[in-house]
Amino acid sequence: MAPDRAVAAQARPEQEFFCFRVGDLRLGVPSENVLEVLRAGLLTPLPRTPSFIMGVTGHRGEVLPVVDLLRFLSKGEARIGPRTRLFVGITGSYVAGVVADTVLGLRRIPVSEILPPPLGGDAAAEHLLGVVHGSGNQDAINLLNFSKLLQTARQRAVAR
Amino acid sequence: MNDEHVQEQEVVDILFFDIGHSLYGTDASQVLRIDRSLPEDITLPGLGLPLRGHRAIVFDTPEGEGHLKVDAVHAVRSIPLNSLRRMPPTAGAAPYAVGVYLEEARAVLLIDLVETARTQGTQGRH
Repeated sequence: MAPDRAVAAQARPEQEFFCFRVGDLRLGVPSENVLEVLRAGLLTPLPRTPSFIMGVTGHRGEVLPVVDLLRFLSKGEARIGPRTRLFVGITGSYVAGVVADTVLGLRRIPVSEILPPPLGGDAAAEHLLGVVHGSGNQDAINLLNFSKLLQTARQRAVAR
Repeated sequence: MNDEHVQEQEVVDILFFDIGHSLYGTDASQVLRIDRSLPEDITLPGLGLPLRGHRAIVFDTPEGEGHLKVDAVHAVRSIPLNSLRRMPPTAGAAPYAVGVYLEEARAVLLIDLVETARTQGTQGRH
């Protein structure tokens, strides 16, 4: 079976995404940008940070800034509850915890099914790799360019 | 240099205090004394507003004494340096938030008192 699968993958290249839901959004991040998923624990708010930085938390002996993607993308505001998860996202030397209401899991998405971000979309569209549609509009997943997103987040933070 | 001396070098004295419901820490060597607060003492919205703020942490600055209004002052504890972390660059926090003390999963914000006075633009009382 494995060789067949390899041949099929070559014929129809796929990319793996870590998919999750936050607020009303279903989002995906390239799996190479995700280190692990953990429960949202104690958050320490920071003074004068951008609103999308919810604070910091300690994790494995390091300090992790926690990012609210809803605020970053101007789509509302995330809320931390007992079932809230953080995924640890990384790009280069930048590491951050990102709030997720529900983890949908890892999905291998055929590259041919990834549609370009909508033209003339809102500011969030500039941080999208594309969109993949499911059986209905409700099932669409917005695929994030996480590297660009985290770099923009840092630029916005230090520019203040 | 014996082990005891090495251990002595690897800790820093941190004074822990509350503003509102938040716990903060600061380098105890910056602190001159704890005093009763006055209305004009430093309060920074970024640190939260004091509930009662009856106390002030008094510290030295190049311009004279500074007074930060606080709710409660806890003990000075000797903290291993390896429990302290710099602020992550992605956070972009205020300049007076210089780092974090990690107490297991809890992150206690470490405050540079002199920077609070610079941020406020006043020492708190004259």
